[in-house]
Amino acid sequence: MNPENSRAENGQGPLLRLFYKFGAIALFVLLWQLACAAGLAPETFVASPIVIAKTLWQYATDGSLYRHSVISLSRAFYGFLLAVAAGVPLGFLLGGWFRNFERVMGPLLYFLSQFNPFALFSVFLLLFGIGEFSKVAMIFWVSIWPMVHNAALGVRSVDPLHVKVARSLGTGKLRLLWKIVLPSSATYLFAGLRLAAGTAFFMLIPAEMMGASRGLGWLIINAQVNYQIPKLYTGTLAIVVFGMLMDAFFRLLERRVVVWKEAKCQP
Amino acid sequence: MADFGTVGYGMGGGFADGAPGIPGKGSRKAPPGVFEEARLSFNRRAMSWYGIIAFLLLWQLAPYAGITDRDFIPPLSVVAAEALRLAVGGELFLHIASSCQRVLIGLFLAVLVAIPAAVLLAGFFPRVTRFLSPLLALLGNINPFALFPLFILLFGVGEGAKLAIIFWSSLFPILNFAIHGVQAVDPTYIKAARGMGADRPRIFWKVVIPGALPSIFTGFKMGATTAFLFLIAAEMLAANSGLGYLVHNASLNYFIPRIYVGVLGIAILGMGFTVLIDKAEKLVLGHKEEAKAG
Repeated sequence: MNPENSRAENGQGPLLRLFYKFGAIALFVLLWQLACAAGLAPETFVASPIVIAKTLWQYATDGSLYRHSVISLSRAFYGFLLAVAAGVPLGFLLGGWFRNFERVMGPLLYFLSQFNPFALFSVFLLLFGIGEFSKVAMIFWVSIWPMVHNAALGVRSVDPLHVKVARSLGTGKLRLLWKIVLPSSATYLFAGLRLAAGTAFFMLIPAEMMGASRGLGWLIINAQVNYQIPKLYTGTLAIVVFGMLMDAFFRLLERRVVVWKEAKCQP
Repeated sequence: MADFGTVGYGMGGGFADGAPGIPGKGSRKAPPGVFEEARLSFNRRAMSWYGIIAFLLLWQLAPYAGITDRDFIPPLSVVAAEALRLAVGGELFLHIASSCQRVLIGLFLAVLVAIPAAVLLAGFFPRVTRFLSPLLALLGNINPFALFPLFILLFGVGEGAKLAIIFWSSLFPILNFAIHGVQAVDPTYIKAARGMGADRPRIFWKVVIPGALPSIFTGFKMGATTAFLFLIAAEMLAANSGLGYLVHNASLNYFIPRIYVGVLGIAILGMGFTVLIDKAEKLVLGHKEEAKAG
């Protein structure tokens, strides 16, 4: 959440760091368990952490967790991949190079980004059927906007002096992109990647409402319909964990790739 | 006072003014190239509409050109006619009003909880903030959809559950950005204020809050975006009014033009809301203008 803070206090012992990292979550789980045990939370609506853990273990051992995860991850991945493939070039075009392109396309893209995915739900169904593609399209539609936005911001953050210097040294267009524009906007690009990936995971549940028969989102919806509360919480937990793992992965990747720059603090 | 010096300077402007015979007065009143300027600025303003107009035109014409299916993507005129029909009956305004009401109440509650909490946490208890931030990240990642049964338990199936979904979805962006904003206030400013003898409440109101406001506004905008996103979802789950209900009902009955009326209505509502927030931001953060550009 706050890399600068944690880096500044890295000098403290590993135990303390662990405490800060997982203490609150552990406390929360403990309180939750106690509330369930004391009967403060009715069992029909809230599953206790132990029950969730048991259910998770059961799903993990009979292989159904794996089955659902794989299909969900691949949907989120394809939606995310399409969003990045379309969003980065679009953002670059918006952010620089053609000023008029931004003036004309900026408002239109903003207008389109306001088209609610839930409302488009039935349109996607009509256009793409109930197959894989409509789900991927829905995830794509939501996760492309943070990518476009951040890529545009990134290009705008490129120091014009660097571009001028490179150009006067005779750098070609492609080289300029690779050597100046991409590295300069890397922090923003990574922020966009993380946001897009997060959104892709967030949209799994609504996307899998559309006539899916497998996947974590489907698991949650199915549990909701059948009122299987432990199953509902287990699916939710799995999606949260995957989403956070993905976020951590991109943070790590950013630190590996963008070694020359202090990481921007972004919540 | 005929000032011939300006004639040569403002040749174009003087003539365009329609008073070439009286060079002095004409060119004095209208600065050089004023029409040119007006035309350019109009063009600049109009340009932001070109894209949208082109898109809407394409939408209108594509079915006739056979690019898209008339039944699935009806031309804009059909959608507009449907919107007009709904507006004349007053039904459209009813839906818009109830959607607006839900978003405003949900957002208001989220702001009411998030901003004092964030300022309190980040401003006065930095260690507690660090302790809690992983938990906040975890909670923020929980999809409001998955919490729907819990919300029903807590607030019933009525307005409460819908408001809770909007509240939950907008709470975390606002909270996280506000915490970040307070943490990112330059310590030099605080030290300077303290050095000049400002007491704690004064530092808080004069330094910490103004310093955190840009980030708070960013969070608020993100919160509003997610609030609109989930408003529609909430209204699709259980409601009998609102734009989300309009879309849901239309799609259940396979009444395609009405779906697009809802989609466009939501988009325009969301955009209008963002414009309002931007205006408010400019009003409040007038002093930040230059710092932001840099």
